[in-house]
Amino acid sequence: MSPHAIEIDDLLVVRGGRTILAVGRLTVDAGEILAVLGPNGAGKTTLLKCLTGTVRPSSGSVRVLGQQVERLGAVALARLRRRVACLAQVLAPGSEMPLTLREVVAIGRTGRAGLLRPLGREDWRRVDQWIGRLGLDSLAREPYGVLSGGEQRKALLAMAMVQEPEILLLDEPTANLDAFWREQIVATLGELHRETGLTIVLVCHDLETLPGGTRRVFVLRAGRVIAHGQGDEVLTHDRIAELYGPGLTVLRREGRYLLAPHSQGAPR
Amino acid sequence: MDLLFWAPVMCAGIVTGASTGLLGGYIVGMRIPFLGICVAHAALAGAVFGALAGLTGPVLLIPALAAASISAVAIGLIDPQTVRMDINVILGILFSLMMGMAFLGLGLFSIYGVSDNEVRNLLWGSLAFCRWRDVWIMVASAAVELIFVAAFYKEMRAILFSRTHAAAAGVRVTLVWTLFLLLASLVLTVNFETVGGLMIYSLLANPAVAASRLVRGYGRTLLVSAALGAASGFGGLLISAATDLPTGAVIVILSSLIVVLAAAWKKTTASLRAKSCRQA
Repeated sequence: MSPHAIEIDDLLVVRGGRTILAVGRLTVDAGEILAVLGPNGAGKTTLLKCLTGTVRPSSGSVRVLGQQVERLGAVALARLRRRVACLAQVLAPGSEMPLTLREVVAIGRTGRAGLLRPLGREDWRRVDQWIGRLGLDSLAREPYGVLSGGEQRKALLAMAMVQEPEILLLDEPTANLDAFWREQIVATLGELHRETGLTIVLVCHDLETLPGGTRRVFVLRAGRVIAHGQGDEVLTHDRIAELYGPGLTVLRREGRYLLAPHSQGAPR
Repeated sequence: MDLLFWAPVMCAGIVTGASTGLLGGYIVGMRIPFLGICVAHAALAGAVFGALAGLTGPVLLIPALAAASISAVAIGLIDPQTVRMDINVILGILFSLMMGMAFLGLGLFSIYGVSDNEVRNLLWGSLAFCRWRDVWIMVASAAVELIFVAAFYKEMRAILFSRTHAAAAGVRVTLVWTLFLLLASLVLTVNFETVGGLMIYSLLANPAVAASRLVRGYGRTLLVSAALGAASGFGGLLISAATDLPTGAVIVILSSLIVVLAAAWKKTTASLRAKSCRQA
C-alpha cells in the first residue's frame, strides 16, 4: 500500500491531438496541502478532474487513496468519491426549486448514506454542525439561490466537509469573491486543515488564496510542469515574473504569500 | 351532473394533475421543462406508428411507452459536456425530431386512407371520456412514481441541485438519472393518452412553478406542486362540467392562473416583509 494519499506517474491527457496535461511524477502525502498554481489554461482543473475520475488520462496512472482511478468502474468510482470531496470552480447554478442552504449542505451526506437509505439523525447532526462551524446558522432555512456568492461558496465548502473526506480538492475556491469573502474562505481552509489534518489539493492562480499551512507548490503552464518544490524555493522573483508578468514580486506575511508591486518589497 | 359519468373523469383529473405536478417539480427544478414535451411527443410518435401497424385502444400504450423510453434513455446517455451543448438545446432538437416523426405518421394515415381519429385524440386528449380502467392505469403509474420518489428522495435532491456536485459527493448519478427518465416516460405516456400531449405540458410546468413561489424546501415544494396539479385537474374539470367549456383549455387556463396568483402572492409578501423590516 502506498504511503501517499495521491500518487501520479507519467500522466498524459491528450485531446484533439493537443497535450492538455503532462505530469511526470507527483505525490501528495496524507495531511499535506499542495498548491497547484498556473495561469488560465495551464491544465490545473484537468489535473483535479483526473483525480476524481471525471477525465480519463490518455496514458499514465493516477492513484488516489491507494486506488488506480482510471481503472475503476462506476460503482467503485462513486465509492472513492465519497472519500474525496471536490469543490468545483464554477458555482452551481442551483435549482429552480427553492432548496434551502441546509438541504444543499446535506447533499454532501447523500453518497455516504448509500442508495435506498434515507439520511439519519447523525447525518443531519453533522450537517447542522458544519453549518454552525462555518457561521451559516442564520441562513440555514434560506433558499440557496438568494445567498451571496461568498455565502454560496461557504455552503459548498460545508457540503464538501459533511462528506468527512480524507482528501479535499479545491478548484479556485475564492474565484469572483471580494477581499472580505476571500479572506473568510482562506482563513476557514487554514483552520480546517489545522483541526482535521485533511489532505488538501488547492488549485488557484492567486497566491493570496493559499492558506498558511501550504508548504509545497506545483506550477503548471500550458499543461507542463515548470516548477515543483517548497513554496519559498519555487516562488522566486523570476518565476513570479514568468507567471504574472514583470513588475510584481512575492511577499511572505504570517505564513501567507502575497503579490505586490516590485517597488513595495525587496525581490526574493 | 351525472355522477356515474363524471366520477372516473374527476378521479383521472386529480391523479393526472398530482402525478404530473410531482414529476414537474423535478423537471422544472432542473430547468428542463422541454424534457416533458419531448418525451410526450416521442410517446405520440410511438402511438402513431403503433396505430399505423393496426394497434388500437390501450394496446397503443406499448409502442408509445417504448418510443418514450427510448427517447428518455437517449437523453440520459447524451452528456451535454461531451457534445458541448446545453441540455435544453439537445431536448429542443429531440423534440422537433419526435414531433416530425409523429406528423410524418399522421400524414401516412391519409396516404393509406386509414382513419386517424384515435391518434388525433392523443394530441388533444380525451379526459372527458375517461373510464375507470384508465383511472386504474393512472393510479398504477402514480404508485410507481411515489415508490421512486421515496426510494431515491435524497439522490434526486442532489441531482436536482447539480449533477456535477451529486457525482462529486459519490451519488450514482447515471443510474438514478436514467431511472428518473424512464419514470418520466412512464408517467407522461400513461397520462398523455388521457389529457393529450399539449395539456400535459401545462400540468408539468405550471404547478411546479407556482409551488416554488409559495413555499421553500425540497419536500414542501414537491408536495405543493402535486397538490396544485391535482387542484388544476379537478378544478378545471369541475368548471368544465358546470359551464360546458372545453375541458383541456379550462385546465390549462386554471393552472396558468394559479401561477399568476402565486407570483402575485410572493411579490406582495416580499414587499410587506421589506416594509416591516424598514419600519423595524
